[in-house]
Amino acid sequence: MTAVAGPGPVARNEDSAAFFDGTAAGRFLLRRCRPAGHWNRPQAVRCAQCDSPDLRPEPAAGTGRLVSWVVVHPRPGADDPPPPAVPAIVELDEGPWWWTMMVGADPAGLRAGLPVQVVFERPEGSEAVPVWTPVRGQPPT
Amino acid sequence: MTPSNAQRTTNPSRRAAIAGLGLTDMGPVYGRSSASLAEEAVRRAAADAGLRLSEVDGLIVSNGVSGGVGLGLQRDLGLLDLRLLCEMQGFGSTAGSMVQYASMAVESGAAEVVACVFADAPLRPGRTAQDAYSRGGGGGRDASPPAGWGGLLAAAGVRGPNTMYALAARRHMERFGTTTEDLAAVAVAQRAWAAGNPLAQYRDPITVEDHHASRWIAEPFRKLDCCLVSNGGVAVIVTSAERAAALAHPPVHVLGWAQCHPGLSLDRNPDFGIVTGAARSGPAALSMAGVGLADVEVVELYDCYTFTVLVSLEDYGFCAKGEGGAFVSSGATAPGGSLKLNTGGGQLSAYYMWGMTPLSEAVIQVRGEGGDRQAHPHDLALVSGNGGVLDHHATLVLASGRP
Ligand SMILES: [Zn+2]
Repeated sequence: MTAVAGPGPVARNEDSAAFFDGTAAGRFLLRRCRPAGHWNRPQAVRCAQCDSPDLRPEPAAGTGRLVSWVVVHPRPGADDPPPPAVPAIVELDEGPWWWTMMVGADPAGLRAGLPVQVVFERPEGSEAVPVWTPVRGQPPT
Repeated sequence: MTPSNAQRTTNPSRRAAIAGLGLTDMGPVYGRSSASLAEEAVRRAAADAGLRLSEVDGLIVSNGVSGGVGLGLQRDLGLLDLRLLCEMQGFGSTAGSMVQYASMAVESGAAEVVACVFADAPLRPGRTAQDAYSRGGGGGRDASPPAGWGGLLAAAGVRGPNTMYALAARRHMERFGTTTEDLAAVAVAQRAWAAGNPLAQYRDPITVEDHHASRWIAEPFRKLDCCLVSNGGVAVIVTSAERAAALAHPPVHVLGWAQCHPGLSLDRNPDFGIVTGAARSGPAALSMAGVGLADVEVVELYDCYTFTVLVSLEDYGFCAKGEGGAFVSSGATAPGGSLKLNTGGGQLSAYYMWGMTPLSEAVIQVRGEGGDRQAHPHDLALVSGNGGVLDHHATLVLASGRP
């Protein structure tokens, strides 16, 4: 199996502080509108479906499906090249898409629609970063 | 909605035409600022049209990644009392949009002779093309980590257009079975066209095997799936058809234009990598021009990556959705094929001037100045710009005459 790279470090800012409070506690916080319960992506300021500004953070189940992925290979020539990184797009089971990365999976085995689940990694000097890995024991559908 | 040609009330003599084209040297042109390249491009375009620079009364400027082209270009050119001046940014769609706004200004009488210019100088000695376009993030040893939502993208390795377009391409491949051989066919065909273009940076033929042997950039993209990077500048002069008819070259009439900006960047988007905004800007521009797809004789599609060409061919309707791979692999777009596509080699082989690359080649082709690569017939051209990550689309329909 090909080892793949983990995420790099990230810092919080004003807009993302609540989200990173969530990742620190092992939760992936979406933003859900109060009037109708629509799920929105973490950075939403209004509901994409009903335009309500009344959004509150709510943990996602942390499961989804792989939409797309890329294998970013290291540049040739390095004596000790780093492993490839696998940026990806995941569709959360609640509906929103999340641009992220896949870890813990051989890129050769990835397929669109693969069931995935969130894991949190904390690179040195970083907030906890949500990344995704195949759901164990589930064949691709 | 875009007005149809029948609803276009402008006096035909005031309808817009491209009368001048100016190109600087392209490629690893060092020691020149983007502003100086822009200035030269405008001067060349005016001279090409047979106009004195002082006859320019409108100026629209645009930048690539290196910046530096601003409203000060007016002073650099010594232009006084302009009736129209602005800076525009729609990334790869900018060129088509500039021509649209210049045409609207000419047709409304707001200006008479509008220069539209793009220049960029991202290449420096010792810096790779990839570095010139990669977004930062996590690279510097003493840099603090990137912050917020953008920082999360960088942390996940989503650091620039190579990765983002590759995510789009992968989706198309998974959905429709598009293959790396199909992507290679685009690169090979365009390089064959570039052989006939003296302006092209790369003119030596390549094969599918060469494509496969080129290194991975962001799998499924190899190096030969990615555009090159160029320093240079390109300008066009837009004026009325009546005025253009009295100038140095036969007018290139601007028959139709349209834009589409879907607005779902990084959001849930079932169309991502599958259908782009060109599927709406294309039919709208053709409708405005009063022509059909079958009337189009020359096609210049934005080609930041091989995949962009393939999906755009589908969206404009040159082949069915999902069949772009089979279409390009059939050889239909290579020299001698049924579709005269990216006849100068495009941004994959000739020069990377964003939307000015397809626009400049379309002007050259419609004029019949394509030399060894000249398409026949060449009276009606479709030009497509694409910016962001399939986020911004501008289509032009250009013609040697009015229908
Ligand atoms: Zn709602």
